[in-house]
Amino acid sequence: MADLAISATLPKPRPVSGRFLASELLLIFGRRRNWAGMAVLAAMPVIVSVANKIDPPTGGGGEGPDFFSAITSNGLFVALAALSIELPLFLPLAVATIAGDSIAGEANLGTLRYLLSVPVHRTRMLVVKFTAIVIFAFAATLLVAGTGVLMGTVLFGGGDLTLLSGTQISFGEGLLRLFAVCVYLAVCLSAVGAIGLFVSTLTEQPIGATIAIMILTVGSFILDNIPQLDWLHPYLLVHNWLNFGDLLRDPVAWDGISTGLLSAGAYILVFVTAAWARFSARDVTS
Amino acid sequence: MTGMTGSRIAWLRWLLPAAAVLAVTAGAAVVKGVGAAADPQLPARTAAQLLTDLQTARLEGLSGTVTQRADLGLPALPGLGGQGSSDLASLISGTHTLRVWYSGPSSARVALLGTLGESDIITNGRDVWIWSSRDNSAIHRTLPAPEAAAPPLNPSMLPTTPQEAAAAVLAAIDPSTVVTTSGSARVAGRAAYELTLAPRDRDSLISRVTVAIDAAEQVPLRVRVFATSTAEAAIEIAFTQVTFARPGAEHFRFNPPPGAKVTEQQAQPEKAKPDEAKPDQAKPDGPPPVAVVGRGWTAVLAARPGGAATSSPSSSANDPASGTGLGGLMQHLPAVQGSWGSGRLLSSRLFSVLVTDDGRILVGAVTPQRLIQAAADPAAALKPAGA
Repeated sequence: MADLAISATLPKPRPVSGRFLASELLLIFGRRRNWAGMAVLAAMPVIVSVANKIDPPTGGGGEGPDFFSAITSNGLFVALAALSIELPLFLPLAVATIAGDSIAGEANLGTLRYLLSVPVHRTRMLVVKFTAIVIFAFAATLLVAGTGVLMGTVLFGGGDLTLLSGTQISFGEGLLRLFAVCVYLAVCLSAVGAIGLFVSTLTEQPIGATIAIMILTVGSFILDNIPQLDWLHPYLLVHNWLNFGDLLRDPVAWDGISTGLLSAGAYILVFVTAAWARFSARDVTS
Repeated sequence: MTGMTGSRIAWLRWLLPAAAVLAVTAGAAVVKGVGAAADPQLPARTAAQLLTDLQTARLEGLSGTVTQRADLGLPALPGLGGQGSSDLASLISGTHTLRVWYSGPSSARVALLGTLGESDIITNGRDVWIWSSRDNSAIHRTLPAPEAAAPPLNPSMLPTTPQEAAAAVLAAIDPSTVVTTSGSARVAGRAAYELTLAPRDRDSLISRVTVAIDAAEQVPLRVRVFATSTAEAAIEIAFTQVTFARPGAEHFRFNPPPGAKVTEQQAQPEKAKPDEAKPDQAKPDGPPPVAVVGRGWTAVLAARPGGAATSSPSSSANDPASGTGLGGLMQHLPAVQGSWGSGRLLSSRLFSVLVTDDGRILVGAVTPQRLIQAAADPAAALKPAGA
């Protein structure tokens, strides 16, 4: 979806070169600090499942964060609980780090001017950078969910999954729904990535870009919880993120999902084009 | 440096993100505007005709999404989830989304969608289920068998034609209510007539109630309750999306998932009640300590919960818990007094509550002044029976 938005709006001289994208992905997934970040992401489902195994909730229900009371009944809930725990901070932070680094990081290291001295169109470079961010958003979400499924099924077993509506579906369909949740959240996080890409073109300090993105994300979570500002809520970046629960109803409530995807698509469209306007005209001196 | 073009070109590039912002806002406006499109042109219908339509409507079934909004001017209570909660009690404040399936009176399902939670009320034949995902619990009730075995809409049971019934209804409510049609409206993308009911009594906090009735299917699509103090509706329940097709039977099937806490409840109208061992406890001899002062829109309900404590053990079990919570809240309410004594007053946009120091509670959709007058009414004194 993110790629579609770009190819529809940006003039693209040649299709995205696979080699360029591959080297960009190697840069993201090969860095040791990113490995550490992904280890933190994967640690959460492990902690959640082990803690629930050692000290299972006493029943009663309704205690702890969302999905927690259901964890012992089905391993898939470990993945869902981990996703909802990491959604407010860890996942956006991971994407913000990568996105903030994308342009500003190269400028900071002084490699940007070398990168631009090779005959690569700036638009194409931006497309590759954003594609890599989107791929990272998918990878991060699937990493959390995958670790959760693994730990959950090992410790608590699989079996039929109870949806929010109280109906049961098979384990296979449950996996499919979980995958849909991951896709939805990855698109939402790609919107964070688009904002990050834009902020990253404004500065040469990657850490500054990352902090700016996090202030925006956490700030919109705070605004989203102030009832007096309810007129503002539908326009906030994070407002529709928790709609992923609509995929766990019977039947699926597509209204919330499509609203969330449209909102994320709007953010991506605006901020990727803004990044393009800024970056393709920027003087690169470092 | 690398093929840098002049600053004029650089400036022009910002037209693209600007266009993106415009496209997004225009798109959002179109999506929002679907519901708020110009009022449809419909042939005029009188209030009596609309009431007739409501009665003759043959609803096969429907499914859709309902948005419910309550803005009663109550203080936000931390215990009540409000927005995004799937707790059924949270409906008194905030905005909520419900999904509705209906296929006749014995097949209905309402789902309150909360953030990562859901509560369902499912009626399937004689089974009624109340499911809460947050508590992982289900309440099951079995409705008593239909006694007369007669369908609820037996034509022979209607004494008059729908037209006459509509006229009778209008005549009955005329002394208290002005019934008008306020033209047409568009609800959930459908053309609808709007019926307005306004109280004649100036002391009512309700300025009017409007009901939007689908022009083609004659089904209410939106109900709004307006308070006298604000221009916006204090309560609004409206379809945002509706389809008039009979939903499949799978929507009304409910089996509690394994591991869920299931509570069996007996339906209220129990036939075995007369031979109950303690009739004096179930039904006190004296009149129950409840009275209604006034009538119509400005009726005030007076009750003495303390008096009920001797007759109903279940409510006395609840009272201490709720009493302590209420006690803290009472401290913050303004104190009022009159010839009847003194008490504390809670006023919201749509109703007022007066808790007197001698243990009475008065509730009504009336101004606080009217409530205080009602408290002085001898009928509302509610002398405890037998005491």
